[in-house]
Amino acid sequence: MGLTIDKSQSSDGSLIRVVGEVDLYSSPELRMAILKAVPSAEGGLAIDLEGVTYIDSSGIATLVEGLRSAREHGTGFTLVAPSPAVMQVLELARLDSIFEVR
Amino acid sequence: MNDIQRDLRLKVRSDPKLLSPVRSLVRSWVASWDIDKKIADEVVLAIDEAFTNAIRHAYEGRCDGSVELTLHAAQEYLEFQVSDTGLVCPSECIERRPLQPPEPDELQPGGLGIQLIHKVFDEVDFYPGSGGGNCVTMKLKRSK
Repeated sequence: MGLTIDKSQSSDGSLIRVVGEVDLYSSPELRMAILKAVPSAEGGLAIDLEGVTYIDSSGIATLVEGLRSAREHGTGFTLVAPSPAVMQVLELARLDSIFEVR
Repeated sequence: MNDIQRDLRLKVRSDPKLLSPVRSLVRSWVASWDIDKKIADEVVLAIDEAFTNAIRHAYEGRCDGSVELTLHAAQEYLEFQVSDTGLVCPSECIERRPLQPPEPDELQPGGLGIQLIHKVFDEVDFYPGSGGGNCVTMKLKRSK
């Protein structure tokens, strides 16, 4: 199972929807998509993780990097509906509290 | 332990594309023992992290190295070994450090994989491989 990344724009801001497995093979694509979207994300950037079936530390590092970049650009960075697979790794890494989740 | 006493040994090219099938194999092997689903998920993650480390650091992202995975169900432990023949990782990179929620200004994503390995397993040993490279053995208590 690979990774699908869809970008969309609404009145609430930019949304990146991620479906599939995020690992060392696929996280560079997600990293590019997030870092490209941050500067132009008016109203903030939301990352929909509901369809993520697996995430490793490179995927978590990608989200942390996105959060840092968003802060530098003074824009919001939110995780939307993170799947149990994502929450389990965020909690294991003790990084669940640094993200805004909705 | 003799090779034949080990349950399963797999030699994999150091290509990130192969991480997904390796995870599938580890997942189904762990599931064949009576291991809690949440712990099984964490084991799959930690083995993936050991593989990822070999690819990223021992082979510096090159896909032409080889990573060997050994799985063995001993009496008290499920034992996992991941070894490579690449560059030896510096000892400070594999030390256990406490995982604390970082301050917003000092978010350091690097090195997380190693800390996850330490957190998931009951025993973790890193040592130089017999023919160069690195070897990590990871043990999970079966009674958990």
